[in-house]
Amino acid sequence: MKGTYLGEFEELVLLSVGILFDDAYGLALVDELERQTARNIMISSVHKALVRLEEKGYLKSRLGGSTKLRGGRDKRLYQLTQSGKKVLAESRELRNDMWKQVPKIVWEGSRS
Amino acid sequence: MKRTSTPPSWAVRLFRWFCNHHLSEAVLGDMIELYERRRKSMPPWKADVFFIVNVIQFIQPFAIRGNSSPSINTFGMYKNYFTIAWRTLLKNKGYSAINIIGLAVGLSACLLIGLYVQHELSYDRFHKKASRIFRVDMELKFGDNRLELATANPLLGETAKDEIQEVEQSTRLRWYGSFLVKKGNENIREGNVGWADSTLFDVFTLPLIAGNPKTALNEPNSIVITESVARKYFDRTDVLGETLTINNTESRKITGVIEDLPSNMHFQFTSFVPLVEDENALEATWAGSQNWNTYLLLKENANVGEVVPLVNNMIGRHMEPELKSIVGKTLDEFVSEGNYFKASLTPLPDIHLQPDRIGELYGSGNIQYVYIFSAIAGCILLIAIINFMNLATARSAKRAREVGMRKVMGSMKSALVGQFITESLLTCAAAMLFAIMMAVAIFPFFNELTGKDLDAGILATPPIVAALIVLTLVVGVLSGFYPGFYLSAFQPVKVLKGTYSGGKRSVFRSVLVVFQFAASVLLIAATLIVYRQLQYIQHKDVGYHREQMLIVNNTDKLKNRRDAFKTSLLQIPGVQRVTVTGFLPVNYYRNNNSFFTSRAMDIKDMISVQKWTIDEDYLETMGMELLEGRNFSKDIASDTASLILNESAAKFLGSRDILEKRPYRLEDENTNRLKEFRVIGIVKDFNFSSLRQPVKPLVFTFGSDDGCLTARLGPSDFMGTLAAIEDTWKTIVPDLPFEYSFMDADFDQLYKGEKQSGKLITYFASLSILISCLGLFGLATFMAEQRTKEIGIRKVMGASVPGITALLSKDFLKLVLIAVALAIPAAWYFTDQWLQAFAYHIPLEWWVFAVASVMALIIALMTVSVQAIKAAVQNPVNSLRSE
Repeated sequence: MKGTYLGEFEELVLLSVGILFDDAYGLALVDELERQTARNIMISSVHKALVRLEEKGYLKSRLGGSTKLRGGRDKRLYQLTQSGKKVLAESRELRNDMWKQVPKIVWEGSRS
Repeated sequence: MKRTSTPPSWAVRLFRWFCNHHLSEAVLGDMIELYERRRKSMPPWKADVFFIVNVIQFIQPFAIRGNSSPSINTFGMYKNYFTIAWRTLLKNKGYSAINIIGLAVGLSACLLIGLYVQHELSYDRFHKKASRIFRVDMELKFGDNRLELATANPLLGETAKDEIQEVEQSTRLRWYGSFLVKKGNENIREGNVGWADSTLFDVFTLPLIAGNPKTALNEPNSIVITESVARKYFDRTDVLGETLTINNTESRKITGVIEDLPSNMHFQFTSFVPLVEDENALEATWAGSQNWNTYLLLKENANVGEVVPLVNNMIGRHMEPELKSIVGKTLDEFVSEGNYFKASLTPLPDIHLQPDRIGELYGSGNIQYVYIFSAIAGCILLIAIINFMNLATARSAKRAREVGMRKVMGSMKSALVGQFITESLLTCAAAMLFAIMMAVAIFPFFNELTGKDLDAGILATPPIVAALIVLTLVVGVLSGFYPGFYLSAFQPVKVLKGTYSGGKRSVFRSVLVVFQFAASVLLIAATLIVYRQLQYIQHKDVGYHREQMLIVNNTDKLKNRRDAFKTSLLQIPGVQRVTVTGFLPVNYYRNNNSFFTSRAMDIKDMISVQKWTIDEDYLETMGMELLEGRNFSKDIASDTASLILNESAAKFLGSRDILEKRPYRLEDENTNRLKEFRVIGIVKDFNFSSLRQPVKPLVFTFGSDDGCLTARLGPSDFMGTLAAIEDTWKTIVPDLPFEYSFMDADFDQLYKGEKQSGKLITYFASLSILISCLGLFGLATFMAEQRTKEIGIRKVMGASVPGITALLSKDFLKLVLIAVALAIPAAWYFTDQWLQAFAYHIPLEWWVFAVASVMALIIALMTVSVQAIKAAVQNPVNSLRSE
């Protein structure tokens, strides 16, 4: 296993799944990511990340919530698992930790 | 509006086809939702394009590969496939046998042809520097003569190496011929001797077992021999420094022993002697003799396209002074008259399969035959596959219920297809095993046929094994594919209700039968024509006698005892005529020469001819016909400057008063001394090279050449005469072997390649017909079985046996007739192409095609009617009783 390494995009996808909570499916995630990052997001890359995250055990999915709009097809709804939540927390902690270690002078010194 | 806003359905289908189950529905839903959203903001076509782009974006491993999380153990399913396939094979032993035998025969034919073709294509590829080695081929044109040579002048290679920086090394080869090697008290003829430059080993990959590649061919009187030659004379291979006694007098020191040359090499020398001994090879001429097969090794990064013009420039530069001194022309003048000396570089691996040029070291292969045989192999394999597909679909009615049941029980289409493909794979694997056994069994026979020396062990080498496995898979899947889809598409409702009878008539199946028979007719016609052409060649009047002609070799070793030998031969009662010369219409000496029709030695007036030196008995012995003039005579002193022409040469000199003409020949290039000749006779054209080419101009001069002795023997007591000749030889030269051959055998040797190919085509054509018939037999059996009830009722109603037979055969005959109609134009075209390669060939006659068609018809009729009659004579009670 590659371990718990989380790519930047994967992390964003995980967070989006958290944000959307009850309605986290492919297209909604694309919209959310585009809104949050103001980047152009490809639907295939979102699904690719979802599949991988599910394989790693950070997400679980179920089918449901079909609407007429989608030709009556089910959505695959994603939800964070315990380890998904844990990996997000770890990632955040790591960042915070590293932020703290950057000397203040770095931020202030940039003025001169 | 209803369904206006749906994306292109083919894209949807494509997506569902490749996408795995886990994602397919949900992702498609997402994409359709996106599509609907886009439809509101952009024109439909644009939304469609975006949708398609989305689909394409998903062609990625994560979406295609099956999701492993809900892993199902599919092993049991595959096991079941095999069980069912095995049971089906056993249940229908007859069909299985037809299938397996048909496929096996087809595959083994393919296998053998494949190996043959592979060997033909593998020539000279094994040299480490193969991609950088090129042979210099010259094309000369002066006056009306145009020559395509495989050779170049003695200086070209060395000069190219010095003057062109892209050339790393050069080496020359020349045919030496044969010599006698002393072993104990015996002299043994050793053929396949070549002259070679000392750089031989720098260019070609010829691994030395002993000796130094740098110096092995440096010294005169040295020799490099192959392992098997070493074994022959010394029973060991570490023979460096030993000497061989050549031609009873010279001794040569062995300076190298090389591994035997692989059979896929364009020269097959077994001994090499250093070219430094050849005085002619030191001659400084650019326009003169072009007798050396010259190979250039280019540097790693050199571009051949750029080297060719450099070589040609070099030739022009060096040839100019020579041209000036001989014909008094500058290069520009020479070229402006339409003459040229052009070099081209032929890549080493291409040498074997390109058309023969003059001065080729060994006869080469023929790319035409490689194509023909590949096509035949393809045909045979296709025919065998078609059999399989035909039988499988024809039997669909029997399997229809099984398929219906499976579908009702919830089998998916893919599983059914898998089932049928497994079945055909199993059949195919069995067939492949049989095919390999068959191929191994007939390998020696095949080698004899093709004149190749392939080892059956090659079948066990990894690349071939891999190829065989791939072939099995491809053929298995290919032949299972159509039946698989055909059968799995049945609608269970129809099938189970019993309304589906299936397998009666199928356009596709008919097309396949037509194709099979078209291929067979084509092959039969081709076989007939090839056979007739070969017969024609063998019996054509070639303009000389070749029966009862004994050729005695080694007469050049007789020296002053030659005349004594000749006279004592003439005293043997069975010997009618004797002539001594190495120039014979079958492959012996050849001598290209030029004559001028005027003293001015203008290139326009130059004629390139064969110049053969003969004695006064030659024409008589050979049975050549003098059309005009007289023969040479010993009593006329001026005959040393006389010529006898063949018709082609005479035509060159003009149409009238040939006997008044005075051709000239350049005797000495340095002093420009000319010799004037007088034409004293014309002989009828006779073939002295392959019948593929028209007769070339040839002149006879009077003199003595002692290459060999040809005796025309009387018809009675042949063996006695031969024994008497041998006795004579033994008394005159006891220490030389008596070696002889017969001219008709030598003649046949010229067409060995054609004969072999003819035989091969015949065998494979028969095979393809056999396989077609096997398939037809299977189909007919099945049809008869299907119509058992119908036949029963017809018989009850009073139908006769012949009537029913005709009824059953009719359908097939129709197909065969269509096949004939399709095959004949194709056969006509291909055989015409083949015949055009011969300057002398039979005309294409319609009856050959008629015979081929009738043969195919009769064979088909016999195959089908056996089954038809069997069905027709059955007692209707048996077929109608059970319902």
